[in-house]
Amino acid sequence: MTESLYTFKENLAKKGVFLCFNGPISHDLMVEMGDILKLKMQLQEESISTILKVFSLLIEQTQNIIFYSAETIPEPENTSNNIHLGIISVGYLNNSYFVQGGNKVKNNDVSRIEKSLSKLQKMSKEEIKQFYRTQRKLISPETSKGAGLGFIEVARKSSKPIEYHFKKIDDQFSFFSLKTTI
Amino acid sequence: MDDSLFRLKQSFDEKGIFFSFSGPISQDLIVEIGDILKHKMKLEEASKSTILKVFSLLIEQSQNIIHYSVEKIPTQKSLNDELHFGIITVGFEDGHYYVIAGNLMDNKDIDRLETKLNKIAVLDNDQLKAYYKSERKKKSDQQSKGAGLGFIEIARKACQPLEYNFEKIDRDHSYFTLKTVI
Amino acid sequence: MNNLVIEPTKYTPNIVFLFDEKVLEISGESYPENTAEFYSPVLKWLIEFLKIKESKTITVNIIIQYFNSSSSKIFMDIFDLLNEKSREGFDIIVNWNYLEADDNMLEYGEEFQEDVDYLKFNLVPRKSI
Repeated sequence: MTESLYTFKENLAKKGVFLCFNGPISHDLMVEMGDILKLKMQLQEESISTILKVFSLLIEQTQNIIFYSAETIPEPENTSNNIHLGIISVGYLNNSYFVQGGNKVKNNDVSRIEKSLSKLQKMSKEEIKQFYRTQRKLISPETSKGAGLGFIEVARKSSKPIEYHFKKIDDQFSFFSLKTTI
Repeated sequence: MDDSLFRLKQSFDEKGIFFSFSGPISQDLIVEIGDILKHKMKLEEASKSTILKVFSLLIEQSQNIIHYSVEKIPTQKSLNDELHFGIITVGFEDGHYYVIAGNLMDNKDIDRLETKLNKIAVLDNDQLKAYYKSERKKKSDQQSKGAGLGFIEIARKACQPLEYNFEKIDRDHSYFTLKTVI
Repeated sequence: MNNLVIEPTKYTPNIVFLFDEKVLEISGESYPENTAEFYSPVLKWLIEFLKIKESKTITVNIIIQYFNSSSSKIFMDIFDLLNEKSREGFDIIVNWNYLEADDNMLEYGEEFQEDVDYLKFNLVPRKSI
């Protein structure tokens, strides 16, 4: 007899999580998760505006993992055929939806990411919008895969200030988690 | 934000689980999951036959969830169209890949399923093959969308007897977990 | 110059740029895996088009249900280009179509509108997209 998956399911349910993915993420896989998320919310008669907000946060946070997760197969700095690994979850608790994404990052990158995020966390809605607009005019599309705007976009769509956490794993890596609320 | 996402990742890593999905499952989603896992195993130089076995167990067990999970959202389209929820995980332990799937089921269906699984559990490969062929010849069962053969197929692909668990939740439902090892 | 037609996928938009009619349409969803790569031929065509074409009315219809942040950057680039041409005397109209029930898309449209001084930028609510 094997261990039951029920405990795991209940743990997720207690936190309000109704969709949780851990592992190698491809763009096509993300697209299907997005589709199924939209369908689920449509069936539960959510407003189109809420559906699109949650969907867009799922896409942005997952694309963040696809582009930037330091946990890859094969080992990092290799070919562009790398598969990136991370966790993404979507849930509903206390009348709000939330999207959480997590992935490994290099310790060297932690302070840079933390700086960007803490800045965004302290801004008002208006300030974030303004920042978004000025950054959009500055960033060159060739250098980044576009995620220069990514964090600002998620901070903008989140109805509460974004929450984030860095947990040191070893000499090289930390685990980065980001949470947005709708 | 706390480190709960990190701890979730850690618990997966500790158990050797490199892929896990909990939520509503669609055929298209399974296709993409299958693709990325094949890609990952190829990069890790698993043998072609192992990759195909894991892939087919993933598909069979996921399709079981789509067809039989009683945790679902009905759509308005037709009685046959429903969004089904379940859990599917793939891991690697002691030199073997394994697939574990879980879904909610009605207590009234347990006996029939358990009897079937108990019967399959004691058959060796040749007996399974014979059983599979005889079942396939039988008149098609209206209720089973093909999984009459499904469990036998699953047992044939696994390298050791199937492990399963029925955890009672309440008067009406239990949680069914099935583990296959390749 | 030929027309530019790119068939849509689940995550890249339908591009229909008609040279003679001077009607350019981008519709669907935009969250490509590599945004710069997808939009490179689109921008190239547009730049060529604006060099060749006389300045009479050019209509640009944007009918997008969802676009990600990197697409947002590309749209800004496109509107900047059109805005610059408008300042030089071109007559260009952009119709930003959005789902009436989606306040997000209205907001994004309003922001683009505010960022283009010379370009005619209309916000068009629709019951469905």
